[in-house]
Amino acid sequence: MFYIVTAYHAEAKPIIEYFGLKKVVKNSRFQVFAGEEVALVESGPGVVASSCATSFLLAEFEATDRDAVLNIGIAGAKNINLKKGDAILCHKIIYHDTKRAFYPDMIARHDMKEGVLETFDFPVIKGNFPEDRIEGDAVDMEGAGFFEAASFFLPPHKVHCIKVIHDYLEGVRVEPSFVSDLIRKNLPLIEGFMSSLESIDCLFSVGLSGKEKEIIDKLAGNLKLTFTMTHQLKNLILFYLSKHERLPGELYDFLNVRVNSKSEGKIYFERIKKLLC
Amino acid sequence: MKGLKSCFVKSFSHIYVEEGIEENPLTKEILKKFPKALKVRIKHYKDVFCRPRQNFFVQESSRKLILAAKKGELLYRGPDICHDFGNENFYYTSPALNCIYSCDYCYLKGMHPSANLVIFVNVEDYFKEVEDILKQKPLYLCISYDTDLLAIEGIIALSAMWIEFARGKEDLKLEIRTKSANYSAISYLVPASNVILAWTLSPTEVIKKYEKNTPPLELRLKNIIRAIGDGWKVRLCFDPVLYFENWETAYENLISRTFSVIPADKVNDASIGVFRIPRDYLKRMRKNFPPSEIIHYPYIETGGVYTYDEEVKGKIIEKLWSLLKKHIPEDKIFIL
Ligand code: SF4
Repeated sequence: MFYIVTAYHAEAKPIIEYFGLKKVVKNSRFQVFAGEEVALVESGPGVVASSCATSFLLAEFEATDRDAVLNIGIAGAKNINLKKGDAILCHKIIYHDTKRAFYPDMIARHDMKEGVLETFDFPVIKGNFPEDRIEGDAVDMEGAGFFEAASFFLPPHKVHCIKVIHDYLEGVRVEPSFVSDLIRKNLPLIEGFMSSLESIDCLFSVGLSGKEKEIIDKLAGNLKLTFTMTHQLKNLILFYLSKHERLPGELYDFLNVRVNSKSEGKIYFERIKKLLC
Repeated sequence: MKGLKSCFVKSFSHIYVEEGIEENPLTKEILKKFPKALKVRIKHYKDVFCRPRQNFFVQESSRKLILAAKKGELLYRGPDICHDFGNENFYYTSPALNCIYSCDYCYLKGMHPSANLVIFVNVEDYFKEVEDILKQKPLYLCISYDTDLLAIEGIIALSAMWIEFARGKEDLKLEIRTKSANYSAISYLVPASNVILAWTLSPTEVIKKYEKNTPPLELRLKNIIRAIGDGWKVRLCFDPVLYFENWETAYENLISRTFSVIPADKVNDASIGVFRIPRDYLKRMRKNFPPSEIIHYPYIETGGVYTYDEEVKGKIIEKLWSLLKKHIPEDKIFIL
């Protein structure tokens, strides 16, 4: 599942349309839209709002390590080499207030530009704020809050900020339809990146399948296995699967056994051990 | 689904550089070798290396480089699970963390939170600490434990620097352990009598199956022949020895092939080490890596270390010992 956090509806609108998301009717402080593979929340502006909305979305949908979360929105550029409309995948996010920096793992392939994002608690306008105190290539008001919250849930290669350059910090009025256009134009690039993340996840998923976990739970219950024995059983199953495509048929016979005591269970456990070693 | 390559950014696409080392000549030298890499400034290497919830397994396919200066303790006492080869004052040091190879059984996967390669560029601080210790006592120092230093010699010539540093220091004995076939990177140096080049040798089956990205046996042997021919002291490490189907034949073939091309009388010494790994490292590896014959083998735990049960362990040691002693004097074979 992909989770997306935007600050404004103008940023969310093209994404909602592109992925065909539907409004999720929920009694919550945030507007949430979801489809089969994507869910989006509109946080409103600011670090705290973004952080709260990110936590809400990831907790509400019970995000796991297999999911990814993106903060997509507009930003002002300090770096004049960045063009208006460029999508920037941020490899460093600095929270200006505390100077704390966050680093997404830059592992998945993409065709965007890269840069440093600096998140401020106030709108930065050239002339009102000394430029030499801006470390980032681009400036926003949410990225650091989003990243810190998302990092509680997901690994760093699954948490990313993508910012589309909207202005050069001249303090221009933000026109919603222009913002939507900027985001819309970059969605194919963003989707390409999402597809890389998805491929990596498919190729590198580890651990047991749901069915194998079920077998372990059932055996542990029926055979009254201790915590340590259950752990050993899990390990033995993984060991067996490293050499064979599927579990041995005989293991399924043990699923019908129910023991009355732990010592009886131990005898069956030893037999399972032999079978899997 | 896309192929592996097309969904990953290339390794070393990003180089993270710690504040304060930008002007270090080694930093500059390394950066020159990666002109296309994006440089990212960081305050401390741990800000990147120790991020929570990193996925070592995924990162191995797109490693990043972190350049830093190591502070605090730089030399550590040699752990009990490593050979001291009869030397007193056994220490090791880590001029780099992690490795460009990906052996399935490598304890680094369980030891570090990240697969990214860290290189410490403050080599002079390491040298100073060694000199300070040498004022008090002699030192046996292994410099390629938490990495394969010779394998990254093309990125930074740390092995060469250490060899030159050690040269002539009678109280210092250095071991540089490697699986690489990168001897040519240091072959221009005059051999130093207090430096031991130690090659880890494994059966071809093991190399193909469990030592991803490492050079094949034949290439390692060619490198050893050259090093011995040039006059270097060479150690052969049959460590870790693994237990798998047909392991006996595999190790018989390995040892007979090795000594069919390497002059046994020119080998400094050899070691046999049955696979062993600290409990916590193995636990982490089991959690974070897919099913593996090595990682998920039902080892026995003794004193916080997982290894094969006494019976298997005994068989392995006996077999390797009997194979090795046909070529090397017993007092030159070290067992762990
Ligand atoms: S060569 Fe050594 S350090 Fe490198 S991955 Fe293999 S075991 Fe680990």
